[in-house]
Amino acid sequence: MVGLEVSIVTVRDIFQDEAGRHSRFSEDYRSKSAVIILDRQDLGSLGAKEGDLIAVENDIGSVVVAAVASHDDAHPGLAIMYNSPWSNQLVPEAVSQSSIPGFKSIRATVQPAEGSAAVTDISAIFSRIKG
Amino acid sequence: MVGAMEIYMLLPKTNCKKCGLPTCMAFAVGLLGREKKIDECTPLIEEKKYEAKLKKLREVIAPLENASETGLIIHPEKCFGCGNCVVACPVNVAADPTHCGVGLGPESDKVILKVEDGVVVSNNLQECRRFGPNKILCNACTATCPSKAIEFV
Amino acid sequence: MATCTGCSLLCEDIEAELSGGKLSKVKNLCRKGHGHFQSAFSERTVPMIDGKEVDLDRAIARAAEILRSAKSPLLFGWSNSTLEAQNVGISLAEKLDATIDDTSSFCQGILMERILSGSIPTCTLDDVRNYADVSIFWGADPSSSHPRHLSRFSYYPRGDKRQKSYEEERTCMVVDVRMSATATLCKDYLFRVPLGGDAEFMEAILSVLEGKIPRLGDKKKMIELGGLLKKTEWGAIFPGLGMVYSLQDNMEVFERLIARLNEITTFKVVPMVGHFNMRGFNELLREKTGYINRVSFKGGVAVHGPEQSVMAAAKTCDAALVVGSDPLSSLPFGTARALARLPLIAIDPRRSLTTDAAEVVIPAAISGLEAGGTAVRMDGVKIKFEPIIKADLPTDEQILSRIMEAI
Repeated sequence: MVGLEVSIVTVRDIFQDEAGRHSRFSEDYRSKSAVIILDRQDLGSLGAKEGDLIAVENDIGSVVVAAVASHDDAHPGLAIMYNSPWSNQLVPEAVSQSSIPGFKSIRATVQPAEGSAAVTDISAIFSRIKG
Repeated sequence: MVGAMEIYMLLPKTNCKKCGLPTCMAFAVGLLGREKKIDECTPLIEEKKYEAKLKKLREVIAPLENASETGLIIHPEKCFGCGNCVVACPVNVAADPTHCGVGLGPESDKVILKVEDGVVVSNNLQECRRFGPNKILCNACTATCPSKAIEFV
Repeated sequence: MATCTGCSLLCEDIEAELSGGKLSKVKNLCRKGHGHFQSAFSERTVPMIDGKEVDLDRAIARAAEILRSAKSPLLFGWSNSTLEAQNVGISLAEKLDATIDDTSSFCQGILMERILSGSIPTCTLDDVRNYADVSIFWGADPSSSHPRHLSRFSYYPRGDKRQKSYEEERTCMVVDVRMSATATLCKDYLFRVPLGGDAEFMEAILSVLEGKIPRLGDKKKMIELGGLLKKTEWGAIFPGLGMVYSLQDNMEVFERLIARLNEITTFKVVPMVGHFNMRGFNELLREKTGYINRVSFKGGVAVHGPEQSVMAAAKTCDAALVVGSDPLSSLPFGTARALARLPLIAIDPRRSLTTDAAEVVIPAAISGLEAGGTAVRMDGVKIKFEPIIKADLPTDEQILSRIMEAI
């Protein structure tokens, strides 16, 4: 399966935020954070549908998250994630003078995750950060 | 949202057929679907032993009755608790101009929408402008909702 | 009445009662604020050293030891602390010759600098409610991030000069890359920009304001927008991270746009600050050093620059104190990993990725709920609040004072 290159922008979601306030370690927080919203056509071109697991990867890291189909007008090449430890596995550090990380300028490849893959767990992210 | 079983438990459970239906369960379903009215169960109204059940039944059915009149349904699991509907509602603004009118949480008891425990709840929906003989097609609450948590059936 | 410290709107009309150790019948809290209040009842931290529970005195002593022996400590967080605590934190940084930075460093900092210096005109949210006939959310989705923004100030309420409010006298507009929740409320006034295209978009508006045909995008829509801006009596623009991150080093084009708009009519800017007291920290540090964030006190002189940002300092400092923040969750992997390598001290009411990685964890009372103090709202209004829950926990102000004494 060929991967698709997308730009990912991270945004806020009130339900994901609420879950994060209760716990960073819960199933609820994971299910609300480990998602990627893809343009409907992009999703189709991957041969995937809503709920399928997607591997998102770039030079910084990789995560497996669930696909959500966008309800918006077509926005091919643009994907949306919620600001979370999952999205931060992909965010490039500061490159400009202002030294602001690329929270809204992530470039990554998306493709359907391998059959045996599961949604990345917070413990795996923590282990990687801890090193 | 209340269920048929919950309603059934508040009925005489005698299957007397005075309401025109064969069983109390059928009547419960009829009440839920707004096809039957509580008063059609004459034993419930007339017999003193059912007084407590009747009172509880009226409480439980009230939101449904209001929904059928105003057509308003709230989905709390979708609600952001943003208060847009509370501040946009003309009944709220008229009842509480110094609070709802200017964006604050309500102080008056006469408001029909307020935010409690993080989500919107309705109250006294018979005051809603979509209710009653002079009803109008007011849509202030649904038009101002960012998540379709409040809508008309 | 309680004040919610869930975001920088600092809503003061919250009614909350405690019964049996739980909150009951809480009024006026939005879903976000409700989550914030409810978070007081789960995953609370206890004093810890190396993952083992200790008594508070030991944890504070160890924290002081780490900071005292560090050659270049980093003090980070601050935006979820009261002014009183932030003040102690800045003094602590001075005493330690440390680097101090807050979340504005990767958030609204570049805009906040200009708001506080006066190069971009601003106003209060109450002014917006009373005077604004146009509210523009630029790269911001308040419905999701500051849920009561529209109902309390910017679109739905009545104001002195806006008695007919959203029905007749107010317009809400959104500039964004997508149809956000807020955009669904004013679909006709959603102006889509391509990702990273905000500077170009602003130049195009400036062209339209000169009566020229814009070079990019939907020319008809741009001309429509130009017309709407010219007709505005008193406008308010609320830049979110969408705009700030898109412009980055190029905030100058936004300054030019605002200056030009103010030649034609009135337009004010209020930054969509996230955490409840980020602005408080920026104002305090600025008062003391002239800079809103990213300051090193090494050698007794305040030095400010990208090297003093948490992103850079995480790699050059040799110990870090994190106050009321979870950078291991909210910062990019590279920065998070660098921080996790340092001896970390986390002062936090609740468990997080950062507290899990910390050598020392010090539990604190939640500001606003369990600890009183003062904070500065996104628009500069100072709000004082009292706690509503009695907690047998030290406030971060108290913890920082004790650490300072022990150094």
